[in-house]
Amino acid sequence: MSTTSPFLDPGPLTTPGALALVHLSRDNVLPIYLSKESGTVDGYTEGAVINTRFGSFPHSTLIGQPWGSQIRASIVDTGSRGRKRKLANVVDVDATGNDTEAAASSTSNTKDVKTAASGFIHILPPTPEIWTSSLPHRTQVVYTPDYSYILHRIRARPGAQLIEAGSGSGSFTHAATRAVYNGYPKDAKDKRGKVWSFEFNHDRYLKIREEVQDHHLDGIVQVTNRDVYNDGFLVDGESPEAECIFLDVPAPWQALPHLSRRKPTQSQLASSGLEYPKETSPEWKSPLRADRTVHICTFSPCIEQVTKTVEVMRRLGWMEIEMVEVAQRRINVLREKVGLNMPLERGTNQSPRNVVEAITKLKQIDGRFKEFHKDKQETDVKMEDADAEKKRGDQHGDANVVENSADSGDSLTMKPWMAGRLIHRTEGEIKTHTSYLVFALLPQEWSEEQEAAAFEKWPCGKEHKVIGSLDKETRKQEKRDMLRGIKDKKIAAAKGPDPAPKKSKTG
Amino acid sequence: MHSLVEPNAWVVLRLPSGNLRVLQVAPNTTTSLGKYGSFPTNLIIHRPYNITYELQDRKPDENFNRLRIVPAAELYADILSSDADTRTAEDATPVPDAEGDDDAPPTGIEYSLVDSDSGTVVATTDRVEIDASARQTLTIEEIEALKKDGTDAGRELITRLMLSHTAIDQKTEYSLAKYKLLKTRKYIRRFCVLPLDIPMLNYWTLEDKDASKIMDMREEMIALLGCWANVHFGGSDPCEAQPIAKIKQEGEDTSMVEPEPVQTSCPGRWLVVDDTSGLLVAAMAERMGILYPSEADRLAKEQREAKSSKQGDSTGGRQPAPKDGEDTQAPAKPTDEAEAKREPEDAAQPTSPKATHKRPPEHRRDDYIPYAHANTITHIHPNSQPNLSFLRYYDFDITNPNPNAHHPLSKHLMTLSWLQLLEPDLDSTYSSPPPNVTPEEIYSWKTNRRSTFHRKRKRWIRTRHIIDTTRKGEFSGLVVASSMDPISIMRHTVPLLAGGAPIAIYSPSIEPLTELADCYSLARRAAWATNTPEEVAGKTLEEQEQWAGNEEFPLNPALVLGASIQTSRVRKWQVLPGRTHPLMSSRGGAEGYVFTAWKVKPAEGKVEARGHLRSRKRKVDDQSAA
Ligand SMILES: C[S@@+](CC[C@H](N)C(=O)[O-])C[C@H]1O[C@@H](n2cnc3c(N)ncnc32)[C@H](O)[C@@H]1O
Repeated sequence: MSTTSPFLDPGPLTTPGALALVHLSRDNVLPIYLSKESGTVDGYTEGAVINTRFGSFPHSTLIGQPWGSQIRASIVDTGSRGRKRKLANVVDVDATGNDTEAAASSTSNTKDVKTAASGFIHILPPTPEIWTSSLPHRTQVVYTPDYSYILHRIRARPGAQLIEAGSGSGSFTHAATRAVYNGYPKDAKDKRGKVWSFEFNHDRYLKIREEVQDHHLDGIVQVTNRDVYNDGFLVDGESPEAECIFLDVPAPWQALPHLSRRKPTQSQLASSGLEYPKETSPEWKSPLRADRTVHICTFSPCIEQVTKTVEVMRRLGWMEIEMVEVAQRRINVLREKVGLNMPLERGTNQSPRNVVEAITKLKQIDGRFKEFHKDKQETDVKMEDADAEKKRGDQHGDANVVENSADSGDSLTMKPWMAGRLIHRTEGEIKTHTSYLVFALLPQEWSEEQEAAAFEKWPCGKEHKVIGSLDKETRKQEKRDMLRGIKDKKIAAAKGPDPAPKKSKTG
Repeated sequence: MHSLVEPNAWVVLRLPSGNLRVLQVAPNTTTSLGKYGSFPTNLIIHRPYNITYELQDRKPDENFNRLRIVPAAELYADILSSDADTRTAEDATPVPDAEGDDDAPPTGIEYSLVDSDSGTVVATTDRVEIDASARQTLTIEEIEALKKDGTDAGRELITRLMLSHTAIDQKTEYSLAKYKLLKTRKYIRRFCVLPLDIPMLNYWTLEDKDASKIMDMREEMIALLGCWANVHFGGSDPCEAQPIAKIKQEGEDTSMVEPEPVQTSCPGRWLVVDDTSGLLVAAMAERMGILYPSEADRLAKEQREAKSSKQGDSTGGRQPAPKDGEDTQAPAKPTDEAEAKREPEDAAQPTSPKATHKRPPEHRRDDYIPYAHANTITHIHPNSQPNLSFLRYYDFDITNPNPNAHHPLSKHLMTLSWLQLLEPDLDSTYSSPPPNVTPEEIYSWKTNRRSTFHRKRKRWIRTRHIIDTTRKGEFSGLVVASSMDPISIMRHTVPLLAGGAPIAIYSPSIEPLTELADCYSLARRAAWATNTPEEVAGKTLEEQEQWAGNEEFPLNPALVLGASIQTSRVRKWQVLPGRTHPLMSSRGGAEGYVFTAWKVKPAEGKVEARGHLRSRKRKVDDQSAA
């Protein structure tokens, strides 16, 4: 299946036309559509070329590689562009991650292209996580800590129909698609997991539709240009039969009346100050799947939006309403290097590591001081000596101190990357608020006829055993009954309060 | 997940107290809610989930309590009316202080007094009852003061009310002790039937059971693991019928050789190390769509059951000792049984009778490998048997040698021990292939011997398949929640990952993960690049992947990219008109952290590097361009 989205099945190798993510450093990932075009492109004889601060990478060197490959920069013939030298110099200016990662020489990959020493990149298959951090932002987006939790809570699973509004920059769309994906539909009747995405803004609608095509997600994502407040969620008059809903629009409560099992009553809406949805067709159709519980999440930055949303949810019969915030922190791991003998490099703190080191140093200084006062005549000479000694100490990791302090002897022989204490810290800047997440669910409707049918199939009154928790009284009563020899059907022995799964029996 | 409560499904009952009860819905039983009463279990079978029921009083002519579905409007009546109150209050210019607060105590918690004999509610802190009864001993002011006093003031209030309540007065011959004081939300006889899906299982284990059993792993963490490891439906088997097809045509899978993976496709296979009794495996299975039997399977099962009961067929039980797998004359079995009894034979054994190829499709081939090639979980466990006990809630028992063959996990979940993975030759099953015997010989054996032979052979074939395919590697991702040192896990699993495959590791505490991250620190990577240890430098890339590490480089730092650690915590809020705020307390304990990274493939050849901000290095690099 060459048309499978690289998000869902990237295959073993990078292929022309597919989206690939070029990893420069931790927070710098470029989405690239690999182009097979040979011949001069943009003035490059190598065809399409990616220019990064780590050098130039002709697409030809990136195609046909196993995913995850480390690719070295190439010396490109910039021809008319003449940017070659400039590029090589630009490399590595504010690099944080990449430049210290291993760079290999002599790659075997491409014919005429020579590798350059400027650096390398890694090429990763697209996933919603990397896409989210590298996608072209057109709006605020939902990031991984939020969307992972949301999709988990709204039970977005393979095969589910999921409604999303608005599409925005498509961050949530991609994650949701992966969650509901259970294969491409083979024909119109083959119903598979699908994301029904609605976007009001025409430009964004066009852009997300284009992305869906470029990412080979046709048939799994259906984008509709729609104002969902006024026009609801039916597509071509048909119900998406959704069981999962995610609303990331400014006024989710205005969309809620459309997301009902049946047409909301005038009073349900009026009391919440909502306008009655305008009449589009004579018969009202629900966009929800009738025979499932429907799970919803709304995503709003402000508490007032939450209050309003929750109130309308209650009026419309949503249950288990719950509001939460997700607070994520990324954590940096580093080595804290404190000690007089620590090598002089960025980040080390050349102050005493412990009391012994402090005292040793103090004694030394004190000793010099006394010497200095003893021989006032030799002042000049001594001063120089002390200075010189100090300098030497700085350069050589203060060998004196090391010798004197008993427990730090190994520091000198220790490799620099193993020196110091391993610590962790929350990253420099944290997102303290993204949005409030309101969760709720709508049970399926249960008619009297359905109940009657179920009652007939599962009649009552012939129970032979008690399950679940028994309080003391019931248990005593059962015992009494048994002792009295009452031939009751309830005689069956009581199970423990929490039946353990090991007793599971399929019957 | 099914729309209705299936008979014998595990469900969660949420009681008025908020307590959860997990039980298996056995038909024709009575479900007891303890002090709240009881009802016939059949009343919730084939009914929807997430409905709130109220236990009704018995009808005079019935010996059981019926249930009433409580409509949402009724459940929210109080909140919505106080909502309206606040609105009017807000509209008026001078806002009367805390107008909306009068209808409920600040936390929404109420106290009720229950007659534990009858289960009837004698008194609650509900305003009406208080107003009616309290005049005898308490003034309204006193009641209000008690209610605002703090969370437990209601207890005091109701204790006083107990002494004054007429209903109790009338029963003075009984001890007051038989009345139970319950902290409850107003309506005592209401309960909910909730599905025991992963979020619920997780919540229940964490809050009510033993959180340490699942390593304190919160939902946020499970969700992060699944996403960062990119766990999703991993495609259908190249040679497998569609996953939604009813019952697989038997004998379809006749190829004796592993099917070549289609070149353009990388079937999703995930490697899981799970010390959470199977919660992690179950959660990943849910994401892959293999935790719950499909609707079609369920219907098929129902049909089979209906059919077999009609025929009065009593052979429903699955016998572990089949007798006729090799017997070409054997009549076709009912599907269910045949499925359970299919017997693989050694595919590689040259003596395998070629004739089997010409068998009619109804017959199970002996070389049948009962595992899918795509959308699979391979679970590595530290003991000789895997501990995946939570899967039993999903009708799958890994300890059963012939697990429910219709459960998707039976085809899609493979387990092996670390020993089997790393030193398979020491594994007794793997290292002792069954003897070569001709079908005629087997046919001449006694039934017992024959079935032992087949059982052993079947086990050997399965074990061999699992070990060999796992050792071949090329997994799509790695997910870990283990009490073992992550560095040791990574040493042996990273080489099994495909290039670009994501890695996600959970740990309840951060230290094991910081140590792991430190193996991939910038300084260490730089050192590796400039000064690769001699023992590694001359090796091929493949050998480098397998390198066991040393003290300075516990792991090969060039194999992993983007190592980072994060944590995430959900904070719950109460949203009530005029009283919206974060909850006052929540679970403490392990914070929980997730390590993420990608497996990468270092470029081949001599490794050179440039150090950070050390421009002189670049000159050194120039030689490599030649
Ligand atoms: C914050 S963005 C959504 C971001 C998206 N969830 C993501 O992760 O990339 C909100 C989007 O909702 C759209 N929107 C606003 N009102 C809408 C309406 N009534 N119907 C449909 N879309 C609407 C906006 O145009 C905007 O693109």
